[in-house]
Amino acid sequence: MIDVQQLAKRFTQGRGRKARVVRAVDGVSFVAADGRITGLLGPNGAGKTTTLRMVAALLAPDAGTIRVDHIDVQRDPQVALARMGVLSDARGLYPRLTARENIVYYGRLHGMGDNAASRRANVLAHLLDMTPLLGRRTEGFSQGERMKTALARALVHDPPNIILDEPTNGLDVLATRALRDALRRLRDNEGKCIVFSTHIMQEVERLCDQVIVVAHGRTVAEGSVASLNAQCSERDFEETFVKLAFSAEERVRP
Amino acid sequence: MNAWVVFRKELIDALRDRRTLFMVVLSSVAIGPLVLIALSALVAGIEKRAEERTVVVAGIEHAPTLRNYLERQTYRIETAPVDYEVGLKNQSLGDPVLLIGKGFEAELARGEAPLLEIVSSSGNQRASTSVNRLNRLLRGFATEHATLRLALRGVAPATLEVLDVQERDLANPQSRAAQLTGMLPFFVLMAVLYGALNAALDTTAGERERGSLEPLLMNPASRLSLVIGKWGAVAAVGMLIALLSCFSFLPAQGLLRSETLSAMFQFGFREAALFLALLAPLAAALAAVMMAIAIRCKTFKEAQANNTVVILGVSLLPLVTVFNQSGEAPWHLAVPALGQVALMNRVLKGEAVGVLDMALPLAVCALIAALGIAFVARHLRIAALR
Repeated sequence: MIDVQQLAKRFTQGRGRKARVVRAVDGVSFVAADGRITGLLGPNGAGKTTTLRMVAALLAPDAGTIRVDHIDVQRDPQVALARMGVLSDARGLYPRLTARENIVYYGRLHGMGDNAASRRANVLAHLLDMTPLLGRRTEGFSQGERMKTALARALVHDPPNIILDEPTNGLDVLATRALRDALRRLRDNEGKCIVFSTHIMQEVERLCDQVIVVAHGRTVAEGSVASLNAQCSERDFEETFVKLAFSAEERVRP
Repeated sequence: MNAWVVFRKELIDALRDRRTLFMVVLSSVAIGPLVLIALSALVAGIEKRAEERTVVVAGIEHAPTLRNYLERQTYRIETAPVDYEVGLKNQSLGDPVLLIGKGFEAELARGEAPLLEIVSSSGNQRASTSVNRLNRLLRGFATEHATLRLALRGVAPATLEVLDVQERDLANPQSRAAQLTGMLPFFVLMAVLYGALNAALDTTAGERERGSLEPLLMNPASRLSLVIGKWGAVAAVGMLIALLSCFSFLPAQGLLRSETLSAMFQFGFREAALFLALLAPLAAALAAVMMAIAIRCKTFKEAQANNTVVILGVSLLPLVTVFNQSGEAPWHLAVPALGQVALMNRVLKGEAVGVLDMALPLAVCALIAALGIAFVARHLRIAALR
């Protein structure tokens, strides 16, 4: 379970006189429960990536709390990270290592033994339908193959909480469907708490049990797709999202 | 523990980069022995010329007296080729040419000074080094004749000898060889630098460019352990290159053609081990410095450009002894690269290298490595996010 409350983060852009303070995140709150897929939906620049980076202990928040399975991320980042599998926006692999070696490397960094990590790589390869890839060097992998390897790498330590930042970016239809399938299986069979960010409406409609709409660094709405539609009295989720995420002036702009 | 995992992975990664590794081995490990062999051929040539007592003459048939003198001095007389001027200019002829006029014998008999010409070219180094030798030889002939003439007139030859001047040349082929082998430590140093460079950039800027640094930091491993593992692998690659290049001189010695050089260049296991003991800490320090520079760069290319400063520094620092003619100063040992080169030269000359002499560069390298590692660890997170 991931519990985020009143998260805030400011960045200073530029230096000296030109310095400008940007409030990237200014009051994001959500609770992602186990056995559910929670979508962080928001336009570009809404603060989704920054929020997830703070959850992954890569950035320290200026205010607010993040708890992962009741562990304070700021106080115990190492313990919290051991309970999270993060597929970040950057998902670079080591091209001279095989897919299996890439996965096992992360397993070792999570304190697993060589054999245990390798066995886990087999299980994940089966789950993600990438067994033939395991022995190949990742140089020359397609986007979909890269994403699968990176996801397997993030899940090698069998974390109860899975965080994915725009996981379908750059994937074709089949790869996207494969990913959706894998995420559903992780939710249904293993009861994982899955949080993923996206700006694509269809993703959310097809996959999410719960949607958190983030705009201008704040949580502006939350609930299931159906309840959010009802809240805005719309039948089309895209209309609902535009109503929720953008102000009246913004909506007028072409 | 985590540092060990990172170390192992980075080392495998670096060693799988076969093409780069091959180029490093070829360009830096092989170059030392190759230069050594080339030097030996050069020195052998110089030695051969010094032993060869040959005079290249045009018109020796006009001067039987001179021929007699030269043969008494056990010199071999060679007739100059017709196109000797061209030969001297394009360096195919390595000896100055002595020109003798037709009237030499008659003029000598009449007591007139016959004209002799020594033809050489200052652009032809081999020929111009022998000009003095030829000059001395002819002066010997002149002195002999003058002495004979004085003796004929009943004058003691000693009256002309107001001074007794004798030259002593301390330069011998050995000291010349020492000048030449002085370049070798520099080659070994560069081998280590280039060996570690690629791995240093790949584990820092390369990791940023690939986008693998951010996911790496989401593992529950401390940043310091990640950096220590990376640094250890880079330093190990540098040390491996150092090991290869130091020990590559051992088989190369068998190929030395110059006897003086091979007698002079005593490079056994002891010397190789001492070289390695000097280079290993330097490899560790250079690895940390190059990583520290590269971690601030977004791309491999940018890091390469920024690290030219390090490469330039390491290539220029050993030259301090060249620009500063006052010789080796104690502070030289505290300067990285300079200290190592100075000590390696001492090893080559067979001079004693004390424990304290080794300890100072070691301490400096340890300090630099520690500072570099701390810097990289501090910048790792910022680097991952930008």
